[in-house]
Amino acid sequence: MIELQHISKWYNVGGKPVFILKDINLKVKEGEFISIMGPSGSGKSTLLNIVGMLDMPNEGAYHFFGESVYNLKDKHRNELYKKNIGFIFQAYHLIDELTVYENIETPLLYQNVKSSERKAIVADMLDKFNIVGKKDLFPSQLSGGQQQLVGIVRALIAKPKLLLADEPTGNLNTAQGEEIMQLFQQLNQEEGVTIIQVTHSEKNASYGNRIINLLDGRVEPSLQNASH
Amino acid sequence: MIRNYIKIAFRNILRKKVFSLINIIGLAVGMAACFLIFLYVKFELSYDSFHTKAPHIYRLVTDVKTPSETIHAGITAWPFAPNIKDDFPEVEFFTRVQQTSMLITKDDKKFQEDRVLWADSSFFKMFDFRLIKGDPDKVLKDLFTVVLSKTAAKKYFGDADPMGQSISLYDYYPAAITGVMEDIPENSQIKADIIVSMSSLTQTIIPGLDEQWSNFDAVSYLQLKPGVDPRALERKFPAFLERRNGKEMEKSQMFFTLYLEPLKFVYLFSKRESNIEKGNITNVYIFSVIAAFILLIAYINFINLTTARSVERAKEVGIRKVVGAEKNQLVKQFIGESLMLSLFAFVLALILTALLLPLFNQLAGKTISTGIFDNYNYLLLLFTLAIGAGLMAGIYPALVLSSFKPITVLKGRFATSSKGIVLRKGLVITQFAISIALIIGTIVVYKQMTFMRSHDLGFAKDQMLVLDTQGDAAKDALTQEISKLPGIKGTTLSSSVPGGSHSTAYSEIENSNGDLQVANLDLFFVDFDYIPQYQIQLVAGRPFSREFGMDTTEAMVINEAAVKYFGYPSAHKAIGKKFKQWGREGKIIGVVKDFHFKSLQEQIEPLSMRIEPSRSYLISVQVAAGNLPASIAAIESKWKTLISNRPFSYYFLNEFFDRQYRSEERFGKLFLNFAILAILISCLGLLGLASYSTIQRTKEIGIRKVMGASINNIIGLLSKDFLLLILIAFFIAAPLAWYFMNQWLQDFAYRINIAWWVFVVAGLLALLTALITISFQAIKAALMNPVKSLRTE
Ligand SMILES: Nc1ncnc2c1ncn2[C@@H]1O[C@H](COP(=O)(O)OP(=O)(O)OP(=O)(O)O)[C@@H](O)[C@H]1O
Ligand SMILES: [Mg+2]
Repeated sequence: MIELQHISKWYNVGGKPVFILKDINLKVKEGEFISIMGPSGSGKSTLLNIVGMLDMPNEGAYHFFGESVYNLKDKHRNELYKKNIGFIFQAYHLIDELTVYENIETPLLYQNVKSSERKAIVADMLDKFNIVGKKDLFPSQLSGGQQQLVGIVRALIAKPKLLLADEPTGNLNTAQGEEIMQLFQQLNQEEGVTIIQVTHSEKNASYGNRIINLLDGRVEPSLQNASH
Repeated sequence: MIRNYIKIAFRNILRKKVFSLINIIGLAVGMAACFLIFLYVKFELSYDSFHTKAPHIYRLVTDVKTPSETIHAGITAWPFAPNIKDDFPEVEFFTRVQQTSMLITKDDKKFQEDRVLWADSSFFKMFDFRLIKGDPDKVLKDLFTVVLSKTAAKKYFGDADPMGQSISLYDYYPAAITGVMEDIPENSQIKADIIVSMSSLTQTIIPGLDEQWSNFDAVSYLQLKPGVDPRALERKFPAFLERRNGKEMEKSQMFFTLYLEPLKFVYLFSKRESNIEKGNITNVYIFSVIAAFILLIAYINFINLTTARSVERAKEVGIRKVVGAEKNQLVKQFIGESLMLSLFAFVLALILTALLLPLFNQLAGKTISTGIFDNYNYLLLLFTLAIGAGLMAGIYPALVLSSFKPITVLKGRFATSSKGIVLRKGLVITQFAISIALIIGTIVVYKQMTFMRSHDLGFAKDQMLVLDTQGDAAKDALTQEISKLPGIKGTTLSSSVPGGSHSTAYSEIENSNGDLQVANLDLFFVDFDYIPQYQIQLVAGRPFSREFGMDTTEAMVINEAAVKYFGYPSAHKAIGKKFKQWGREGKIIGVVKDFHFKSLQEQIEPLSMRIEPSRSYLISVQVAAGNLPASIAAIESKWKTLISNRPFSYYFLNEFFDRQYRSEERFGKLFLNFAILAILISCLGLLGLASYSTIQRTKEIGIRKVMGASINNIIGLLSKDFLLLILIAFFIAAPLAWYFMNQWLQDFAYRINIAWWVFVVAGLLALLTALITISFQAIKAALMNPVKSLRTE
């Protein structure tokens, strides 16, 4: 599904390149549940953003379902992105001006789903995740866990094949985090959604079936092998 | 999708009430100002365009070349138009018009009518003044036939049918009403309530007028047949004049050249004088530019406030991109929001315009429009303008906002680009430069007005009443009686008073070479008391005197300008020189100091004064200071006993003279109002910007306060940047305003110099208003509890 080849990213600081990612090679098969771990500043978020097409490396190639992402036109890449990828953040990142319902509906708007269809899909999801009662509330009226749940529902609303989550439980307490992880596992196992998550918690990482360890922008080879 | 945009836009507008209000009000006020000016400009441009034949109608005008000068007249001699019609098959119709004032009576109703027009019989065939009653082919055909406007008909006949009835002209000639017309629209250069057949004037009242080839008084219009080239026709006129009038031109040394001015060109563009209402294309341009500026200022606010808010919107942009929005979708969303604000502003602007229109009409001195909703085409145009401008203003913020990189903004590592800041500063500078320039303009206009009103005119204009006897036979007796009244210091009879109309006479004056030089001299007919009563200073010779019997026929007094004109090195040298003028011959007996017998817009021209009781209709009464109402009452009772058939009316000379500046005064008032508007809108924008920059710097302010900064330090910190911008704006505005206002002043022969302090005052004024505006925010921020502001971060 995903193939990263020789991905490098650096910033020029004082005229010298400082590498954030260095020669990353990574293959992800459909249906995998991967956890990216590593110390703070090791490049986890950067890697996730590159996989999520929100960021570009300075070097390297990226194939998504066989398509060379960086050779696509912006329009095509956006198409590929919005059809296949859902994003979840540590800080939830809901639109404050929109209600729960509208936040969830937004991705469908950008995929030009018809109004009636939209209604059905959103209603279905609200129902499925048990937040029908909250649909008219604004993000500021929800708890952190509820907000993250809305964030997840929004990421899933367009039935993505790949779910990317950057420390999705970072702002939540243990119980809330647990629930989210179980949800991920369920999505992965029952609906075959490929998941890549960044996490600092070994426990959360263990929900996945592979762990990638980053250190100073490189994948730690031993651990990668160990997970196989 | 659209619904989602609208929803978000609505919520944003509601959530940020102050911001939205500033934005919408600023825009609406700007638009309203723009709409009003638009209506004014449209109105000025619409003059005479309602005549369906306008493309074929031309005003016939004359250049008169005398040995000493060329006069560009808007009028013709009486015989020109009818003879051209006879000689040239290209001409379909002609009509001459002359506006006059006359006493009109109907039974016991008696009015001195100022809007009476003599007009030839084709008048209603050429012009689209709609007849309610009467046949356009016939109404003005016969001697002493009259067409009344609806208003005039009502005035004289009430609800009765005026057709076939009669009124009396000059309280003497009976005239039959043959038609009633709609009131002449305001945007017509020809204005009249009562139109009398021209033949009555040229055949009966002044017989032989149609043969007087040097008597210039008629405004003439020709309607050419379709397809006729006016330039080709013009080229045939010299031969025509030579054939018809060649000998006379040779004899009088006055040579005529005829031109055709398209009807629609006349009002705004013609520089020729013809005693009919004239527009001013410069003012139209000036106001158009002001309108554009005000709209620009308003939209700059809009752009500035919207981009300044981008920090707040950044997160939303990031999220939308993450969930799949494309850049162009976001651009559409933000432009949509701009459009929505514009739409609100547009509606508000319409309301404002409707409310302000009566005031604006008053300010403009005429009804430029009765309502903004009168013309749906205008409305549509204004709508397009508002929305178009909204679109333009929305594009930049939309592009800025939609180009944010999601990962950057979502990380919160967000800083406004320096390019955006430079742009915003540039826009603020533009706004204030315009405002400062307008303030300078206003001060200059007002200074010039005050200068004109207080300038020594060279004659006594205060406590002077003027009565127009219209040539009544009892005028001399009345003058005598009035002079005997208590509280009256003096009376004098003359043809003209300063600032009023006067004749221009074909004259021959002996010049310094001893030749009789032909010139068109301004001419005042006066009596013995005129020069002393008006306190016009004598510089050489003597004034008219009853002791010299021949003074009534053979004496002329000229002014210093005339002395110079005829080449004399000093006034004394001109005394005793010969003159010939309008059938009189004699000698120059005195020279008076130049006095302003015309407005200060014009140079003092050479003037001649002679005694001619038969043409002196105006009584100037010098009233003692004190009991003015009693004096006027006494004068009125004398008038009523001696000239009982004419309504009593009078005017004060100083007011009468100042009425010449009415259009400048209006101009000044409009200018002032728009300057205030401009600075108001600019300050509104500044307020918004200041509040945003304060919000952005809340944390910085908090830290500084914790470190011991005083409130004054904080205010200084926040104000400094903006004040610098205003300083820059000042240095841009000052030279531009100086240049343009100097151009404007060129229209005045007597004018002020723009003093340095005008700029200082304008600059300080702008600075002060800006300072007050900013301080609101700065003080609020400085007083904030630092702990609280730090915690919110
Ligand atoms: N614009 C930039 N210029 C220079 N360095 C940058 C820039 N953006 C990110 N970095 C650096 O890139 C490195 C990787 O950042 P990244 O956010 O991927 O780390 P992370 O592994 O997600 O850390 P954390 O666990 O704290 O979230 C960091 O050391 C950061 O300082
Ligand atoms: Mg991270």
